Amino acid sequence: MNGTRTNTDTGPLLLRVLFRPKETFEDLSRAEPSPYRIFFKYLVWFALLPPMFAYIGGSRYGWDLGAANPLILAEIQLRIVSMLYFFVLLTAFVSTAFASQWMSETYGARKSLGVHMAMVTILAVPMTVGSVVHLYPHVFINLLVFIPVLIWAMYLLYVGLPVALNIEPEKGMLMASSLVGWLLVGFVTLLGVTVALWTEGLGPSIGA
Amino acid sequence: MSGLSLHKRLENNAGLLVFGILVVSSIGGLVQIIPSLTQESLKTPIGNTQVYGALELVGRDIYVREGCSVCHSQQIRPLLAEVKRYGPYSRAGEFVYDRPFLWGSKRTGPDLHRIGGKYSDTWQKVHLINPRSVVENSIMPGYPWLAVRPASSTGNIQANLRALQRLGDPYTDADILEAPAKLEGLMEVDALVAYLQQLGTGFDNSMADNHGAEH
Amino acid sequence: MSENQQIIANEYYHDGVVRFLVVCSMLWAVLGMGAGVYVAAELIWPEIDFGQFWLSFGRLRPLHTNAIIFGFGVSALMATAFYSVQRTCHVPLPTLRLAWVTAMLWQICVLSGGLSLLAGMNSGKEYAELEWPFDIAIAIVWISFGVVFFSTIACRRIKPIYISNWFYGGLIIVIAMLHVVNSLVMPATLLKSYPVYAGAQDAIVQWWYGHNAVGFLLTGGFLGMLYYFLPKLADRPIWSYKLSVVAFWSFTYAYIWAGPHHLHYNSIPDWVQNLGMVMSLILLAPSWATMINGIMTVSSASEKLRTDPALKFIVLSLAFYGLATFEGPMMAIKSVNAVSHFTDWTIGHVHSGALGWNALIVFGTFYYLVPRLVDAKLYSVRLANIHFWLALAGTMLYVLSMWGAGVSQGLLWLSLDEFGEPSFSFKDIMASMPPYYMLRLLGGFTFFLGTLLMIFNLVMTMKGRPTVRVRPPKITATGEAQ
Repeated sequence: MNGTRTNTDTGPLLLRVLFRPKETFEDLSRAEPSPYRIFFKYLVWFALLPPMFAYIGGSRYGWDLGAANPLILAEIQLRIVSMLYFFVLLTAFVSTAFASQWMSETYGARKSLGVHMAMVTILAVPMTVGSVVHLYPHVFINLLVFIPVLIWAMYLLYVGLPVALNIEPEKGMLMASSLVGWLLVGFVTLLGVTVALWTEGLGPSIGA
Repeated sequence: MSGLSLHKRLENNAGLLVFGILVVSSIGGLVQIIPSLTQESLKTPIGNTQVYGALELVGRDIYVREGCSVCHSQQIRPLLAEVKRYGPYSRAGEFVYDRPFLWGSKRTGPDLHRIGGKYSDTWQKVHLINPRSVVENSIMPGYPWLAVRPASSTGNIQANLRALQRLGDPYTDADILEAPAKLEGLMEVDALVAYLQQLGTGFDNSMADNHGAEH
Repeated sequence: MSENQQIIANEYYHDGVVRFLVVCSMLWAVLGMGAGVYVAAELIWPEIDFGQFWLSFGRLRPLHTNAIIFGFGVSALMATAFYSVQRTCHVPLPTLRLAWVTAMLWQICVLSGGLSLLAGMNSGKEYAELEWPFDIAIAIVWISFGVVFFSTIACRRIKPIYISNWFYGGLIIVIAMLHVVNSLVMPATLLKSYPVYAGAQDAIVQWWYGHNAVGFLLTGGFLGMLYYFLPKLADRPIWSYKLSVVAFWSFTYAYIWAGPHHLHYNSIPDWVQNLGMVMSLILLAPSWATMINGIMTVSSASEKLRTDPALKFIVLSLAFYGLATFEGPMMAIKSVNAVSHFTDWTIGHVHSGALGWNALIVFGTFYYLVPRLVDAKLYSVRLANIHFWLALAGTMLYVLSMWGAGVSQGLLWLSLDEFGEPSFSFKDIMASMPPYYMLRLLGGFTFFLGTLLMIFNLVMTMKGRPTVRVRPPKITATGEAQ
């Protein structure tokens, strides 16, 4: 074990998680990253990717919901939607890190916010990198890419959480399931709130 | 904590528990169902709404048998886009003879409440036998057997009408006697088309400004 | 107290009927899920009914729903009810023969009922499609189920009735009430009847029934399963007794009112719709109270807990339970419902509950129960873990594709162009759905595959092994179990 290089710098960690997930989480379990550093140096930039790709795709091609021609949104609407997307993503990531930290009491996990922030960032990598598919904004194609990406992220969650947070496997599984519940509920809330606001008139107009 | 000690008594007594569950679970149903059973506007036909004739009733029974409600709704909601697409929204008074109601819970195909008269009989027949022959990307199943089964074989039309009469639908004894004659020489597909062609025709324009007394 | 001190020689719990029902449940899972996969495929390739009436979508779909709810679901509920009521009352089933008759007659009812659906006997009411002869038969069998269950409780050797029994009891009582009232018909012939209700009245009664079939069968009954098997698996008592009491009664009260949310913007009185909406939102609290109780119970689990596939399934089922019981109230809000009603979003919601909650908790329970019934180790833990990932992936694929399809449909159907006319034809909108349906088919198939793995695993665990005989504990003079 003496020959193993432990690299706790988060940057290379994020790339390594794609190829060596187990090792990456083990390294994280020994690290004490600063939450602010993680947020400003990495999370913010990853969160910027999906709205950026969506903006480019939306203005070049228009959003294709499948029926008839793609919908071209007015420029200002596209900008607002993209900015909202960014803020929603950031809120989701940060709130999940806090929720995870809140749960660590119950499951005997490490409490350092930085570690939870790093976990969330690692899990966000597949999604945010996968969002390159937004460059061609066809709803179905995006689903086709995002569903496996999400499943992969969930797998990373189950495998990585107990290791990174120093909990026993069984408790790690329980905590991961709680986080899955949190994320599912958060997503469906977003879906519902968006739809409710949209029908009340607050949202882009999608008439042809 | 007297609440919990009351509950301890419930927990130790099966009879009380059963009674408690029955009482608590019946309240909601009583409040929501009983008024609807007595409310006149839900029982009074409006416009030209009439009982189903023998052929149309056979058609309706076929509609139920084949599970058409699973993909087609018969309920136009008071939403602008819906009214634009399908016609005047559905009023309770149009369904007073619908046993069972067929409002549906899913639209894999379009709403059918006002389909009556929108397509010719021939179109309807051809579409039912093989939907893809008239609608290119349709995923609706075909019903070729409807063309070869006589309408009289669907069930016992007189027994059916008698049952409906007993339930209070305004069928006369003469209607019941003459019913088999109305089915003579016709196939199930004719019956179903007859049913479809009268859907929504009970509405007349005098109803347009009346938003239905059900509110 | 003398009865409690008696130790009846050769007295064992009656678990043979439990094993029978578990096997039946698994057979129904194959039939019901197989039918589900088939109809999902028919929605992409309608030609695969080969022009045969008995393969027609409109007849296969109710076969799917009936086989799953009444075959797979109720058999699992009966199995676990019989297993747990004996152990929570410390007494074997006093009416063993009736229990066997119930179990076997139920299978016959569901099987013949399913065949009748293919033959075209259909009342036209969702989840109550079986015609009146079957309604009567089901009612009789259900009453005998109630007799078996409540007689066990009446003969119990522990005074307090454990909470899982409240939920199973609620299941039996409320479903009986719903079934009887909703099935009131005037028979015309042996094969055909007409409801005593018509039009809007029928709609209100139907969805009072339909929603509470979900509420008391698919939710309440399975909560009974949760309240028994979760503490067993976690080796801990339920986290909060007070919370369970509050949750049970508010659940039983509130759920009944939620039916009208199936009829938003339909031609029923506004006040009924609004009442349904409000109560659906209120229902979120008791639903989540139970979920939290479950999560906290398992979170404080003993450190000696081994990694158990059963536990994984049950814990994940709680997450999906949270999702489904949150999404439900949300979809009950009128402005959300305006978009979701009639779309595939509803289908997605149903299956997040049916796959994510119901099926997963049954799987977890069976992984726990079956090895114990035969006093053997699970044949393959590895297969169970693979099953876990297949079930999760299948559920996610199903739900996400249906969210995509449903929200698209809902929004596109409502969209108006600058002239105030519908922007898209219905035909064009639905023509863009097949890709979503493909993903859904893949999801359903993946889930089905996982289920088959489980069945293989459990059959290999049970094969050639008799049901083990377990004695009820002796109760001492002070009422303690030894």
